[in-house]
Amino acid sequence: METTGPTDGMLADVLKERAAAKFSGALRVDGQPGGIIYFAAGRISGCETSGAPSLEVILLRSQRVSVSDWEAAFTAAAIGRRQMTVELVQRDLLGAGEAEALLRTALADAMFALVTGRVDGCTEAPAAECLLPLTPAVGSGWLLNEATRRRQVLASFPVPAPQAQDRIAAVPIAARGMAGQGQDEILALVDGRRTPRDLAFALGRGLYETLLQLARMQAANVVLVNSPGQDSGKRAAAVPDSKEEDRTVMGLPRRRKDNPSSPRSGTSGRRNIVASIQMLLPRSDGHRMPDGALRPINPTNSYKVVSTDSGWVPEVGRS
Amino acid sequence: MSRLQESLRCFLAVEGVRTAALIDVATGMIVRSVGKPDPDLPAVATRAADEVRAVRSALGPAGAADGLVEIATTTDSRLHLSKILQCSPSEGLFLFVDLERAKSNLGLATLRVSELAPAVLA
Repeated sequence: METTGPTDGMLADVLKERAAAKFSGALRVDGQPGGIIYFAAGRISGCETSGAPSLEVILLRSQRVSVSDWEAAFTAAAIGRRQMTVELVQRDLLGAGEAEALLRTALADAMFALVTGRVDGCTEAPAAECLLPLTPAVGSGWLLNEATRRRQVLASFPVPAPQAQDRIAAVPIAARGMAGQGQDEILALVDGRRTPRDLAFALGRGLYETLLQLARMQAANVVLVNSPGQDSGKRAAAVPDSKEEDRTVMGLPRRRKDNPSSPRSGTSGRRNIVASIQMLLPRSDGHRMPDGALRPINPTNSYKVVSTDSGWVPEVGRS
Repeated sequence: MSRLQESLRCFLAVEGVRTAALIDVATGMIVRSVGKPDPDLPAVATRAADEVRAVRSALGPAGAADGLVEIATTTDSRLHLSKILQCSPSEGLFLFVDLERAKSNLGLATLRVSELAPAVLA
């Protein structure tokens, strides 16, 4: 994946122009996926695109807010001519800080979908209101830098990371690696036809978050990626797990049970924590000892304390 | 002023704090940050988010991961506290607080951060 582009592309130039002109209003971005960007005095307050789930989809799909509560808030906001965000906070459905954090996250994801897609042109759109505007709005520079960071992270995987329009299939169970944290839900929906975008909408997760998980799953040999232009001989099978015993009564892939030889089973939580943290260390300082051992961040005095609801795991990974 | 920025500024009053940031676990994105400008902060945030995910993964799927409260990392010169915040969709958010070790005390810093944390998302 190309890691430069968002900051020097056509969209970036248009955003800079609008920021300099202190533009307020809506800008329609034509292309694939395309969308609408909302400005307030040159800063960006919202972005709607079919390429990434909006905060509404994320809140409802994740059941953070129930459909009935959402509809009640929407009706009250429309009648009282209040902002939907304000209504959600006033009804204690979201905290004010949480709403701002989620709006910033959703906005960054929508802008990532726009700048990594195809942009054919930008035109000012008729005055329209954003359903969930971010207040205060953010500068386009921050959003473009974040999009660049995300592309760089995806490009850092040893194999090309999936893109929004790729088809994702599960690796047959006999050859499949172990799904990690938060990956079972994705694996249950992967069927060889759904794209990362489809999965993001179905799960109520951000597009980038879904792409990142799929890139990890691809690296762990859990899923296969089938790009639209890929040779048909190399394409992933639409339904790779044909064995009945590998599927639940709902037709979804059965959850993989722990294998005695897997690192997770038969080991203590503390050993797992040590192993997991050690896996992180070379990325923190970029050094590996000649014998293959991992060197921690600070070899003289570096340790971690992990606390949970029920206790502490002190002095993990001391060297 | 942003509500988030306002609540994060309270952390700067804790002795030894250099930077406080709200980070998205799933993406490693810095949602908001306050304190001394640090060009390395985005990379640090990405690694801190990876760390939270790794510890959750190590704690296992049987509910223990949901109980993760915080991670403290100590080096010769720094103290990093990652305080997990609940009640968000997806993998949630966490507070990352960077302190100077010589000017701070792990126990007191943990206590003060725990006291201030609930107000961030409220």
